[in-house]
Amino acid sequence: MDAQDVNQGNNNNNDDDGGGGGIRIPERLLRREQARQEDAERRRKAKEKQSVTEENSEFFIVAFNRDREAVEELMAACSGSDRDADAQTLDRAAAQTQELQKFLNDSVMFLAQYELRQAQASLQRLQTSLAEKRDEVLPKKKFAFRSRTRAKEPVPDAVGPPPVPGPGPGPATAPDGVKADVTPHAEQCGFSDMAAAVLTKTSEEIDKQDVLLSHLTDCRVRLYGSPCTVHIKHVRGCEILCGPVTGSVFVDHCSDSTLAVACQQLRTHHATATRVYLHVTSRAIVEDCSGVGFAPFTWSYPTLDRDFEASGLDRARNNWDQVDDFNWLAAGTPSPNWAVIAEEDRRTTWDL
Amino acid sequence: MGLLTILKKMKHKEREMRLLMLGLDNAGKTTILKKFNGEDVSTISPTLGFNIKTLEHRGFKLNIWDVGGQKSLRSYWRNYFESTDGLVWVVDSADRLRLDDCKQELSALLLEERLAGATLLVFANKQDLPGALSKEAIREAMGLDDIKTHHWCIIGCSAVTGENLLSGVDWLLDDIAARVFTAD
Repeated sequence: MDAQDVNQGNNNNNDDDGGGGGIRIPERLLRREQARQEDAERRRKAKEKQSVTEENSEFFIVAFNRDREAVEELMAACSGSDRDADAQTLDRAAAQTQELQKFLNDSVMFLAQYELRQAQASLQRLQTSLAEKRDEVLPKKKFAFRSRTRAKEPVPDAVGPPPVPGPGPGPATAPDGVKADVTPHAEQCGFSDMAAAVLTKTSEEIDKQDVLLSHLTDCRVRLYGSPCTVHIKHVRGCEILCGPVTGSVFVDHCSDSTLAVACQQLRTHHATATRVYLHVTSRAIVEDCSGVGFAPFTWSYPTLDRDFEASGLDRARNNWDQVDDFNWLAAGTPSPNWAVIAEEDRRTTWDL
Repeated sequence: MGLLTILKKMKHKEREMRLLMLGLDNAGKTTILKKFNGEDVSTISPTLGFNIKTLEHRGFKLNIWDVGGQKSLRSYWRNYFESTDGLVWVVDSADRLRLDDCKQELSALLLEERLAGATLLVFANKQDLPGALSKEAIREAMGLDDIKTHHWCIIGCSAVTGENLLSGVDWLLDDIAARVFTAD
């Protein structure tokens, strides 16, 4: 485009000048020549930018050899005097070898067969010598039938990560010292490790907390308020009544109990002989349960309406009798693990 | 332009990734998926089976598989491992009692050969709950620092509020992209 424009301009000028100044043109011509050269230069640079330097077998060979020497130096640095330091150095060497392999793989496209074979072979040698060095500096304990020390045999630190990420023994599991961290913290709202007690929480105490009830036996629990979520674990012979829950209620290991709860989701696991008076806006599920009965939520307390509003649950939508049993996927036949409680058997009074 | 460059460019154009979302039941996997996709999260039922969503994000086409986490479904997880670029492991940060379970299931997954190349994103979900553990506590309790076989990252998030979902997914995409689609 540019060139053409210049050309036209020139022609016009030529016409304007008429036949008068044949010798004065060069200035314009010079300018045109300069523009042409700049254009060519620009195009040459653009072309240079597109041809990637990395895709050049000379570049590859230089870079490959440089990296290979670096790995060899690392290996030479392992004197065998400091085990930990050597292990680290060898790990680094292994990682670099791996990178080298990746570099080679990436470059396969533009390498000649001969260069490829050469690089492959030298990489092979490198890996062999790395393995030899590892055996030499960090000898694995010889296998022997010694029952007492066997458990300690695979010391992951000494062996280092496997050279290629893949299957194989996973990293060592952390010591079990983290347990303390995981136990319920002091501010956790709820009740744990109680028996034969009447336990209540007020609306103010619950106030959008996540509530945990665990290891309760023969307790009567009243949660007046709207929790965010509720976990009920390891309860026996309990009666647990709970106000509207914004999210999910998670029940695990529950037997001979009565629950009344309004929630968005109910997940019931390992429950036996348990009656659930339920308001659920999405779905309830049971898994590994037997003898679980369901009926609509009928518990009421003075501030229930307010708590329903706070929870955001839809009072008009209650899927209490649509229960998915994860152990009973046969469509058509109802699951034997849960049933609807017959109307005459349902509880109507909830007084303490 | 070299042939390799052309090939890379072609691969770059597809920019399709497969993400697999797993975790114990009640962790919030479906909620994360729906929230990320801008859907209503108030009517989600426990997942009996799986959900798939295909969505566009930052010019990538993401196929996200959300598989139910109930115990009875976990044995089916393996059916979804093939050609997974990224694994999203979702943890219920408020469920202290099952953190051990959670750790075991994750470490079993990481031994899977078919997940060997996948990047791991751990979502410490439900950070909006007052009783939630911090992501540092989760990281320690689950022994994440011992993971040497995968690229990993833990991010505290809340599926309900949507907090940090984007930054988590962005990290995952960047890590996968750096591996799969070589930048120009």
